[in-house]
Amino acid sequence: MSCPKTKLISAYLDKELSPGEKTAFEAHVQGCASCSHTFEEMRLLRASFANVERHPAPYGFATRVMARTAELEKKKTSWLVPFFVRFAEVAVLLVVITMGILAGEVMTNSSPATTTTNVSSALSLDMFDATPPGSLGGAYLAMTEVRNEK
Amino acid sequence: MEEDSSIIKKHKDGDPIAFEDLVLAYQDKIYNLCRYMLGNAHDAEDAAQDAFLKAYQALPKFRPEASLYTWLYRIATNTCIDYKRKPVFESLFGSSEEGGRLIHDRASEDPSPERLYQSKQIDRALQEGLGKLSPKLRAIIILKEIEELSYEEIADTLEISMGTVKSRIARAREELQKIMQKYREQNP
Repeated sequence: MSCPKTKLISAYLDKELSPGEKTAFEAHVQGCASCSHTFEEMRLLRASFANVERHPAPYGFATRVMARTAELEKKKTSWLVPFFVRFAEVAVLLVVITMGILAGEVMTNSSPATTTTNVSSALSLDMFDATPPGSLGGAYLAMTEVRNEK
Repeated sequence: MEEDSSIIKKHKDGDPIAFEDLVLAYQDKIYNLCRYMLGNAHDAEDAAQDAFLKAYQALPKFRPEASLYTWLYRIATNTCIDYKRKPVFESLFGSSEEGGRLIHDRASEDPSPERLYQSKQIDRALQEGLGKLSPKLRAIIILKEIEELSYEEIADTLEISMGTVKSRIARAREELQKIMQKYREQNP
């Protein structure tokens, strides 16, 4: 049967017991066959690791890591470019439309009388006469009327 | 560490080579951890690169008062535990010139063929044992026995309590010892 104090063996070997715990444990091990046996096994196990090989990073490792971080940075900005291009396209379109509306308003912004005359003449059928107002024929007729009156 | 704080500050300020300084400072520790977690050089490099890449992305959020190297160990350990492939344990010991010298040094007190053979047997048993432990128990053994972290540093790395560190180390050693004992009995 294993002693419950065997769970302290690891911490004892790693010097992780408090001074009081350490003293108590050492006194216990001397009189406990189970802990004594397990203690020796653990000690040998730890000794197995005493001279284990340390493996350094392979040649060029840091360079390969930095190459991957550079790729990561490139991917981060590549999705942003089309977004900004589309945004710029929409902004330009809105500016052009707004300018067109404003220009239209400026060009049609005339006096109320002129507006009324233009509307009246637009609504009459004079435009369909043989000599509509403003035409050369109309001007000739106007001149002959003035001469006849004289 | 002051040097670590300086590197982190430079990286946050946009210095493009600051992160490379960090990689150079910790590449051996991180690679070694991955090598023992995954058992072979190819997977170890793959995982170690992934770990540094994750660190690169998370570094802007790193708290300066925390320990950089336990943070890096945490990322590397989790990367290995979650690694896409099952570990394949190849010659962990004696594969390099240093490894061969270490085996010889261990046997130097009594450089007989028998002692050398015993030394190699220990290494084979260790490799077998590490390979058969669960990833979490393997991680704690490596951090303690190979990376030589304190219990407090292990608690910080694995984000577990001191009590859990103590019980997990004890359990890992017990299991490792049983596996190694069985291996020796089957391979006298």
